[in-house]
Amino acid sequence: MTTTEAVPRTAGTASEISRAHTLKQVLQVQSFQILLVLLVIFLAFSALAPEVFPTWGNVRQIIQNVSILGVLGIGMTFVIVTSGIDLSVGSNLVFSGVVAAKVMQAMGGSGWGTAVVGILVAVGCGLGWGLLNGVLIAKAKVPPLIVTLGTLGGALGLAQVITGGVDIREVPAVLQDTIGYGNVPGTTLPTISLLAIVLILIFGTVLHRTRFGLYTFAVGSNEESARRVGVKVDRQLISIYVLSGGLAGVAGILSLSQYGTTAIAGQSATNLNVIAAVVIGGTSLFGGVGTIFGTVVGLFIPAVLQNGFVIVGIQPFWQQVAVGAVLVVAVYVDQRRRAAAARGHAAKADGKRKLFGRRSR
Amino acid sequence: MKLTPKVTLLAAGVLAATSLTACAGGTASAGSGGATQPKLTFIQGVAGDEFYVSMQCGIDAAAKAAGATVNTQGPAKFDPTLQKPIVDSVVASQPDAILIAPTDVAAMQAPLKAAAAAGIKVVLVDTTVEDPSFAASAIASDNKGGGLEAFKAIKNLSPSGGKVLVISTDPGVSTADARVAGFEDGAKADSSFEYLGVQYSHNDPAEAAKLVSAALAKDPDIVGVFAANTFAAEGTATGIRQAGKQDQVKIVGFDAGPAQVKQLKDGVVQALIAQEPASIGTQGVDQAIKAINGESTQKEIQTGFKQITAENISGDGAQYVYKSSC
Amino acid sequence: MTTIPVLEARGLTRSFGNVRALDGVDFDVNAGEVVALIGDNGAGKSTLVKALSGNLALDSGKILFAGGEVELGSPSEASRLGIETVYQDLALAPHLNAAQNMFLGREIAKPGFQGRLGFMDNKTMRAKSREAFDELGATVRSLSDPVGSMSGGQKQAIAIARAVAWAKGVIFLDEPTAALGVVQTRNVLETIRRVRDKGVGVVFISHSMPHVIDVADRVQVLRLGRRVATYEAKKTSVEELVGAMTGALDGAHS
Ligand SMILES: Nc1ncnc2c1ncn2[C@@H]1O[C@H](COP(=O)(O)OP(=O)(O)OP(=O)(O)O)[C@@H](O)[C@H]1O
Ligand SMILES: [Mg+2]
Repeated sequence: MTTTEAVPRTAGTASEISRAHTLKQVLQVQSFQILLVLLVIFLAFSALAPEVFPTWGNVRQIIQNVSILGVLGIGMTFVIVTSGIDLSVGSNLVFSGVVAAKVMQAMGGSGWGTAVVGILVAVGCGLGWGLLNGVLIAKAKVPPLIVTLGTLGGALGLAQVITGGVDIREVPAVLQDTIGYGNVPGTTLPTISLLAIVLILIFGTVLHRTRFGLYTFAVGSNEESARRVGVKVDRQLISIYVLSGGLAGVAGILSLSQYGTTAIAGQSATNLNVIAAVVIGGTSLFGGVGTIFGTVVGLFIPAVLQNGFVIVGIQPFWQQVAVGAVLVVAVYVDQRRRAAAARGHAAKADGKRKLFGRRSR
Repeated sequence: MKLTPKVTLLAAGVLAATSLTACAGGTASAGSGGATQPKLTFIQGVAGDEFYVSMQCGIDAAAKAAGATVNTQGPAKFDPTLQKPIVDSVVASQPDAILIAPTDVAAMQAPLKAAAAAGIKVVLVDTTVEDPSFAASAIASDNKGGGLEAFKAIKNLSPSGGKVLVISTDPGVSTADARVAGFEDGAKADSSFEYLGVQYSHNDPAEAAKLVSAALAKDPDIVGVFAANTFAAEGTATGIRQAGKQDQVKIVGFDAGPAQVKQLKDGVVQALIAQEPASIGTQGVDQAIKAINGESTQKEIQTGFKQITAENISGDGAQYVYKSSC
Repeated sequence: MTTIPVLEARGLTRSFGNVRALDGVDFDVNAGEVVALIGDNGAGKSTLVKALSGNLALDSGKILFAGGEVELGSPSEASRLGIETVYQDLALAPHLNAAQNMFLGREIAKPGFQGRLGFMDNKTMRAKSREAFDELGATVRSLSDPVGSMSGGQKQAIAIARAVAWAKGVIFLDEPTAALGVVQTRNVLETIRRVRDKGVGVVFISHSMPHVIDVADRVQVLRLGRRVATYEAKKTSVEELVGAMTGALDGAHS
């Protein structure tokens, strides 16, 4: 196994961003390019609907609607940086919400006592599924795509078994009033968004500043090398899937608070939306490269597009077309960059462009 | 031109933005000509579904007549987590009224209440929410009446009476339960018919076939089955064919989308009970305009049904078939 | 026997299915000595290195470190004894930079509470990496570029620098010059001598007989998973080595 993998010069880890001194260097990092795209989109809609679109009221609701996906996006970024994938986040979210709702229903009461138990149960369920994913991937060596496809079905199926397919709509009022639709006291920032922002800051620091984060990149960059220098690769992978699962559990309770229902039939496209955001944000599906910051920007692009399209009154189908286009372009750019790095920024002569994600191993 | 990644990405962004501008110019709602023109937004339960498209046709026609503009939006799936962001965006765009088919009674309660609080008139069409008191009007099919209509259809097909059965989907679905109740009332009120009760097929044709086979083994003289959706109808027909009783047992299906109409034309079912989505839409616009003008509105409206059979499908029944475009 | 070998293998065996990659192989290296390990393709050289660096479970045999028997269950256990390896594939993480690769698995934590939270002292690690590269005379221009974008020689230099920096007992170099140009090769051979002079035992695997004779103190020959001969490098010739490798000179044990 000779490592001849193409690596972009501007791989886009946060430490690289902080080391990129000139504006030109900053501009070469994909998460910043995508930020520019977001700005362009924002300005375009602002020009089209100047009275409605660029208002805090509108931006606030975009932020609110992105918050749950943001929590899932954190875990997904870690997972994809290891060159893994977690398809189970949406089902895990639903399962955690269902079990928490069941427990809270059984306890009765609509105060914090019940709510706190619900929160713990949801997070516990999420961690459990994450642990199952992690052990199967790290120890049993089943590919992440298959493992999480399995738990995607398993978690959703069990959620349906538990409820008989009928949504539970009894959610403690405190959860709905504070987390679901409340604001941070004294501001108009939604509480749910503050929670997401805090988690993003914490785990962004973990990924880009700590040893745990470094090992995440190392495992994604070259698992075998990491193992040989003494990184406990299995433990690292398990921890990362547990993290992703636990955050799905958090998202489960957030969703319960926001929607007041377990929405079992919902969240069907959540996993793919989150994965798309992570990839748009410059995290490579091949591992070793990625930022939480990029993921956040990647989440806002579809959200802002949809919001703007609705406001200016464009057919809903076009939103999906636009997001799809941004996704493909983002991956194309990533591939071009890898190809360029592989050729040492030299000639573009050979014409053999790797658009299909083949690894040059 | 050498396409560096940066250039490509930026170009894509600019392209998206400009094409956007182009698109927006073409839509009706962007016209800000008449400040008096009421702005309506219709939020479907799911985009592209014939039931909602038919409703949209009714809404568009009524709005045109009333001099209002309509912006139609809808999630890609019947999913509250996808519908809520759309509702929030619509509220931000401040239309005069929203006509919406909520995808969940609990999840859509708060966002729609917030819309009403922001001064937007809300009209609920087809589906509803837990506490619709904020809404100017709630318009839906009279599902109980629909069940009764299904019984009448069986009576038309088997005038001499006999044993009748219902194959529904799942327990706990409020609209389906109301239809079953309406059917039951009709069957019990008519002494020439005997009601055998309801069985649940869980949206599985194979399960429906098994249920019908078992029912026919027990009561070989069943004359009619009300199949509450397409899967139930498909399985019911299979079960009846396996028993060789196609001529004896009549099946009545529900809704009149392309799948159901195909079943009618193929002889799988002998009658369909069509809702009147266009009428829901038309009345929804009427109520919305009234609310905008400060006139009193009707809090609850129930719309009717139409029996579609092989005889009238190409005649006066045709207009009741759900449309895939206006 | 006057000196105790720093690392010694006795009768190691390991089979992969029907292939006996190691068939009771013996091996020894002393502190401050360069041992060349040679043999034909598939003779078992890389497998032996893996076994002695904690990367391979053995079917039978004994490993002694400084005279005492040891179990090398993982690469970290070997590292703890001061055994380092430059693998044939270098084992670098291409997306990480030179300093991160240098310290991967051995990061320097920030002092105090921050360190316990997992924060690292990047400044010190960069400074120490720079020192290590300078000491080697390695031309690693940027410590912050990902190593995947560097030339083969630079990557090799980083891998060697990393092993040299941490090796206190033994260092294995599996074909370190295979991908290198003339100048870089000379650098590596120079490095090998320098490391030996620090008192470390160096095991050097190569198919290039002139390099072997140039840099090694002793040469041990593997064939079909066994050690078939050991020579003093000064007293042997390319012809003799090739003969031992191919089996033409059987029975020439010293
Ligand atoms: N993981 C493995 N699975 C199966 N067979 C293996 C494995 N590793 C090594 N072998 C076999 O063991 C034998 C010795 O291989 P090894 O790589 O040690 O040879 P080598 O002396 O390093 O050769 P080269 O000079 O080509 O590097 C070969 O026949 C090889 O096919
Ligand atoms: Mg080898």
